[in-house]
Amino acid sequence: MAAILVYSEQADTALELVGAARGLAPQLGLTVSAAVLGAEAAGTAAAAAALAAHGAAPVYVCTEPALEGLDTAVVTQALAHIVEQAGASVVLLGSTRRGRELGGRLAQRLGAGCVTDAISLTVEDGLLVAGRYNLGGATVQRETIATPVQVVAVMPKIFEAGEPGGAGAGEAVVAVSAELAAPAVKVVDRRPKEGQAVDLAAAARIVGVGRGLAKRDDLPLTEALAAALGAELACTKSLADFGWMADDRIVGLSGAKTAPDMYLAVGISGQVQHTVGIAQARIIAVVNQDKDAPMFALADYGVVGDLYKLVPALVERLKTL
Amino acid sequence: MDIAVCVKTNPDLQLMRVKDRAPVLEAVPFKVGDLDKNALEAALLLRDAAGDGRVVAVTVSEGDRKIRETMKEALAIGADEAVIVSDPALDQSDQAGVALALAGAIGKAGPFDLVLFGEGSTDGYSGQVPSRVAELLGLPEIGYARSLQSTGAVLRAERSMGESIETLETALPAAVTVVSEINEPRIPSLMNIMKAGKKPVVEYALGDLALDAAAVAPRRAVRSNLAEEQSRKHVLFDGEPAAQAEALINALVAEGVLGR
Amino acid sequence: MEKVECIVVGGGLAGLVAAYGLAREGVEVMVLERGNYAGAKNVTGGRLYMRPLRRIYPELWDDMPFERPVARELITMLGDGAATTVELASERLSGPSPQSYTIQRAKLDQWLADKATAAGAMVVTDMKADELLRDGERVIGVRAGGDEVGAEVTIIAEGVLGLLSGGAGLREQPRAADHAVGFKEIIELPPGVIEDRWRLNEGEGAAQLFMGDVTRGMTGGGFLYTNRASIALGVVVSMEQMRTRSDELESWELLDAFKEAAQIKPLVRGGELAEYSAHAVFEGGIDKLPRSYGAGYLLAGEAAGFALNALVTVRGMDLAIASGWAAARAALAARAAGDSSAAALAVYERFLRETFVMRAMEAGRGVPRAIENRRLFSEYPGAVARLLEGFFAVDDESSATLVRTSLRGARREFLKIDTLKDLWSLRKV
Ligand SMILES: Cc1cc2nc3c(=O)[nH]c(=O)nc-3n(C[C@H](O)[C@H](O)[C@H](O)COP(=O)(O)OP(=O)(O)OC[C@H]3O[C@@H](n4cnc5c(N)ncnc54)[C@H](O)[C@@H]3O)c2cc1C
Ligand SMILES: Cc1cc2nc3c(=O)[nH]c(=O)nc-3n(C[C@H](O)[C@H](O)[C@H](O)COP(=O)(O)OP(=O)(O)OC[C@H]3O[C@@H](n4cnc5c(N)ncnc54)[C@H](O)[C@@H]3O)c2cc1C
Ligand SMILES: Nc1ncnc2c1ncn2[C@@H]1O[C@H](COP(=O)(O)O)[C@@H](O)[C@H]1O
Repeated sequence: MAAILVYSEQADTALELVGAARGLAPQLGLTVSAAVLGAEAAGTAAAAAALAAHGAAPVYVCTEPALEGLDTAVVTQALAHIVEQAGASVVLLGSTRRGRELGGRLAQRLGAGCVTDAISLTVEDGLLVAGRYNLGGATVQRETIATPVQVVAVMPKIFEAGEPGGAGAGEAVVAVSAELAAPAVKVVDRRPKEGQAVDLAAAARIVGVGRGLAKRDDLPLTEALAAALGAELACTKSLADFGWMADDRIVGLSGAKTAPDMYLAVGISGQVQHTVGIAQARIIAVVNQDKDAPMFALADYGVVGDLYKLVPALVERLKTL
Repeated sequence: MDIAVCVKTNPDLQLMRVKDRAPVLEAVPFKVGDLDKNALEAALLLRDAAGDGRVVAVTVSEGDRKIRETMKEALAIGADEAVIVSDPALDQSDQAGVALALAGAIGKAGPFDLVLFGEGSTDGYSGQVPSRVAELLGLPEIGYARSLQSTGAVLRAERSMGESIETLETALPAAVTVVSEINEPRIPSLMNIMKAGKKPVVEYALGDLALDAAAVAPRRAVRSNLAEEQSRKHVLFDGEPAAQAEALINALVAEGVLGR
Repeated sequence: MEKVECIVVGGGLAGLVAAYGLAREGVEVMVLERGNYAGAKNVTGGRLYMRPLRRIYPELWDDMPFERPVARELITMLGDGAATTVELASERLSGPSPQSYTIQRAKLDQWLADKATAAGAMVVTDMKADELLRDGERVIGVRAGGDEVGAEVTIIAEGVLGLLSGGAGLREQPRAADHAVGFKEIIELPPGVIEDRWRLNEGEGAAQLFMGDVTRGMTGGGFLYTNRASIALGVVVSMEQMRTRSDELESWELLDAFKEAAQIKPLVRGGELAEYSAHAVFEGGIDKLPRSYGAGYLLAGEAAGFALNALVTVRGMDLAIASGWAAARAALAARAAGDSSAAALAVYERFLRETFVMRAMEAGRGVPRAIENRRLFSEYPGAVARLLEGFFAVDDESSATLVRTSLRGARREFLKIDTLKDLWSLRKV
């Protein structure tokens, strides 16, 4: 039986993809297998064990030295090899930056059609249908792939990892050796990002800040608001481009897709590339001085006014809560 | 340094409306992709730093998108030449077909030391095309560069990936995609717009690139393309800031998203 | 200084037709348009009188993007809660060569820009001409986007208000008394609904004009044109009377009240507001026309005063097209003669007379505006001149179109008289 092959360099994303694959596999008449790649044996073994425990069978593990650094061209070679070995007809990747880059390259090598940044996967008329944002996020385009092998890169945090178990739980881990070219791209330096990482996708409350904020020095103002609300601070791409905030705080098309109970947008105009990241918020509140800002079209509650007056007023009010 | 920059023509999404959940693209004008302008700017800076070379803007028509006008924009921004692949067979193509045509055109117009892309196109934002082209041309690939330097033989890039910031190096030729923070694209002056009209523009049909309609036929089929439904309450609070803050917080508490 | 043979200021109908006419004869011509695409900022009611234009560049019009040929004409008089409609449906109006079509400027202007470009013209959008360069009397080019570009002939087709030509002293500064102001909405309706409501054959269109209660006593009227899948609904009123009102009437209230009128409401029912806009229109008539040529320059379209506002029908697009054509011919003649002096460019006047432009303006002289107005519209007393400086114009210039998601709110802000007033006063700066 042909397989769905799951791969992501992010262990948690890979587990989510196995969860998704297990849901789809019976409808498509496929089995679920997974791949783990990396030059480092211990980490790969642990990841493989986790995937196997969650029902991927078998899990293909390739630990060729050339995989050090996970250069996309090398990963592509390794995966293409595994796709063939596994007889995979569907490849699910995680649509992280690395995964998106990989998707196109792998699909090209396999002569496959590809969908990146998928936010939904369903089976209709026996076909796999992937939904993804289109036109800057204004619409969701639902696509099927017509090639014998289909490559889909799925956004992280869309699917649940699911419980351990499943068909061939814990069954086989297959070591793969492949002849891989040495990476042409060298990692000269890799350093962790400063500040603690934030997981906006999991946040219950978020304060999003945009260019309404006049200067970097004013950030403490909104930090105070986020603290008072018990919320994570997020931003539009513009502020991250200025270097005021880390890019894992971007909400939107090229940032996090969030689903908080409450999203408070402060000084954000509401371009669709941003709002696509908050469509799933339960309540959206808006502070903007321009009452014609498109952001208000998405507001449950809104106040028109200067954030420099309103944010302190909100902080003040929250003290008495 | 000779650089090819892949430039896509996109509808101006600011002017697009959604009606009955469907995008209305009729009469929406086209423009050079936002991130492709960053790629173009990066190319111009690298060319100027190298002191010689040419920047060639390469595009593949996807439907009737006024491709020549857009390429004039790219030339006005500063590209030295433009290459257009235009063929009715491409109108239905997806990223795979576009990549084939791009790779063909880059091969024919080249050789190039570097092929630059945006990390995503304004309308599709798939990020597939650059990787496909890199694979087709057998080039090493660096995605999401937020800074770029070249020593002539070696390219150094910094990029931000998940939890880490990476500095990468690769020998040229290579394929690179850029993010918007890499630079601030220049706005063309009238003089440069005028000069753009006189710069060379080469057009290829698929046949010129040893491709045909079957090669660029779509690998995907679109089932639907509609806006998600949104229903929001649209309550606005007036008054002094303090009163507005009061009302807003009260509403959030009443919704159960704040407070105990 | 970089030089081209011909610069056209303004990528509206007049400018684009002039550019097309020059480019097809091999003239190096550059159009400067401040909007981010041709038609971006242009407002019209929506009806183009086509018949007189077919002789002008006959090859041009075959694939013109029109909405509907107007097959049914209606005039509705509103007053005291009652309405009388006079209606004409004539085969001669529609027929194989319809007299007029409804159009949308965003489409028509982009299409014309494409034609001009295909003919070899350079159409530069997002580029505002800031100043006309002079050498004594002579216009020698423009300054735009920080650069100076010279031209043998500059065709100024900047539309109503003529800020650039006014600034250079080529014509008088605009006066509110010579202008009307129009407010308009595009309301989307399915084609079938439009055909049913106006009893049209498939594909045909209607033009409905309104007089009376629409304008609260001010000179002017309402219009409604059927596009393919939308209607254009608007009000045109005297700018002077609007600005000297003593009440706080906002233009959107005028339009809202119009839409709410018992006779209109069923016509727009179920429609979705898609766009709104405001724009001035010249109604100074033939006696107020500036001289349309001089050394190194020509004025075309509404910048030259070619527009007619006869009670409720506004006409300007056909005049803009025809004058753009005449301007191209004049520039070609000057080029052939190697002389672009005022004397050489004076042929423009002859070409204008040879088209219907001057005949139409001449015919428009007959509209006894002031008297007619008082009799028709002035039962409403109390118009005390309270508002100070002039009135009109939107954003930093004369026009604007907005397409937004939050339309309703935006529209209210946008159609505020205060805004318009302030911006009108900006015309002097
Ligand atoms: C391919 C692509 C991908 C993109 N991806 C993303 C993405 O993932 N996320 C994202 O956010 N963007 C993204 N963008 C960018 C996006 O299109 C917008 O440019 C961006 O979201 C705008 O940010 P902003 O709202 O902060 O700024 P602006 O649009 O400049 O809005 C600032 C707002 O602040 C208001 N304001 C100003 N001063 C005050 C004040 N004193 N008080 C209150 N309000 C005030 C203004 O009225 C205005 O509405 C992307 C763009 C492209 C082309
Ligand atoms: C509400 C309303 C209803 C009307 N209804 C009708 C109708 O039904 N039928 C009809 O025939 N006429 C109608 N008219 C009149 C008609 O629209 C105008 O007369 C006609 O559009 C004038 O064309 P134009 O080319 O001269 O100017 P415009 O179409 O105004 O074009 C001028 C162009 O110049 C550009 N521009 C201006 N200044 C500069 C600068 N400094 N640098 C660069 N570019 C510049 C502008 O952006 C614009 O694109 C109506 C007008 C109004 C306001
Ligand atoms: N039709 C095209 N012509 C030229 N370049 C393109 C085209 N489509 C995509 N690209 C390039 O590929 C990048 C990513 O596009 P996409 O894969 O569509 O997200 C763009 O930023 C362009 O640099």
